[in-house]
Amino acid sequence: MRLTQILLSRVGEWSKQYANLPDRYIKRAMEQVYWRNPKGIQYRPSTVIQRKKFRFTMNRPWSHQFYEQNAPGRLRKKVFVEPIKKWSFFRGDRVEVLVGKDKGKQGIVKYIVQERNWVIVEGLNCHLRRMKRGDESLDLYIQSEAPLLVTDQVALVDPSDLKATPIEWRYTESGESVRVSVRTGRIIPIPATAEETIDYKSKSTYKEQPKDTGANEVAEITFEPALKTFEMDIMESMGIKEDRIPKKTYWY
Amino acid sequence: MSFVNVIAKRGISTTAICYGKRNFKKFPLYGKRGSRIFKQQQHENPDPELPDNKRGVREIGYKVGDKFVTIPEMVPELIVPDLTGFKLKPYVSYRAPDVVQSEFTAEDLFNVVYAPKIMKDLKEGKLNEDGSSKEPSNEEKLTPEKALIRARQTGSDIF
Repeated sequence: MRLTQILLSRVGEWSKQYANLPDRYIKRAMEQVYWRNPKGIQYRPSTVIQRKKFRFTMNRPWSHQFYEQNAPGRLRKKVFVEPIKKWSFFRGDRVEVLVGKDKGKQGIVKYIVQERNWVIVEGLNCHLRRMKRGDESLDLYIQSEAPLLVTDQVALVDPSDLKATPIEWRYTESGESVRVSVRTGRIIPIPATAEETIDYKSKSTYKEQPKDTGANEVAEITFEPALKTFEMDIMESMGIKEDRIPKKTYWY
Repeated sequence: MSFVNVIAKRGISTTAICYGKRNFKKFPLYGKRGSRIFKQQQHENPDPELPDNKRGVREIGYKVGDKFVTIPEMVPELIVPDLTGFKLKPYVSYRAPDVVQSEFTAEDLFNVVYAPKIMKDLKEGKLNEDGSSKEPSNEEKLTPEKALIRARQTGSDIF
């Protein structure tokens, strides 16, 4: 499997979802190519020396802070992350914190870092960071949430009794895959804000801009098959008449 | 008689390499690379082994000695259609559904162009023994040579 695909597959799907950036931009912004073999028959094709091990953090892989943390030459110890087959936590989900000083409290998921199995719950598991700007004597304290591990430290809340439950993915009679609370059997629906991105709250409520083609125009079929090449079609529509017959040419 | 000690020695010629062929295949010198003198020499007397700086653009004529002769037919003419009343725009709205279309193959083109006529002829009994029509339409009269000439008349050379 190509290294570029490995790079992209390392970035979690739900981490990328909110930013709504094209995959090729993320790959381009993330990759650190140290050497690429030149083009030529004498060189081994597609030989690249690039960074393969990244330390994923709260900063998104395309940001500058991520690059600083993963600068060329910076070696970090490997972080062992439990592989999760199916990711079950979405933005806007009500979850209960199971560890720390906010144990037992419920909050809403705000930020997802799928590569580290992290979830940020709004307002919970906070700590104060001291920010000193220059020589100011007044210390500025900022409250920021710490990430919580999805496997151990957080649990989804059952909507019927508002208590933490372990969940399973099961299929409904119509064939839809849904999260089901193991304790009560109640379906936990995926929140509407899971679909939200920086560009729109949901696809159906997106406000069409002047340079956007409307949905109807895109789906319209205007192709009429005819026995002409593309160039012949253009010549007919522009009214260009050509009577000269080109001389025969040969490909060797 | 002096006995000369014959010590077997081997000589290395350092001038042989200077007279030899320069192999610059590992360092492609194209376009803006190379020293000023090298670039001047390339401009006057281009080395055929090194790639030219045309970057894929074709010349619009030919050289007669030192003079360049322009052929007007070789100057590309961009034909841009009139875009008044054109509905498609640069971007697509997020509301648009995912349109999945199957590939339009030669078989589909045949079904549109030739198939209805063949069906009609079959029902009316106007087909010959080998399957060709007794009253061929313009498309059915077309031979491969004529079709090729038609395609080539547009000026494209990909056929």
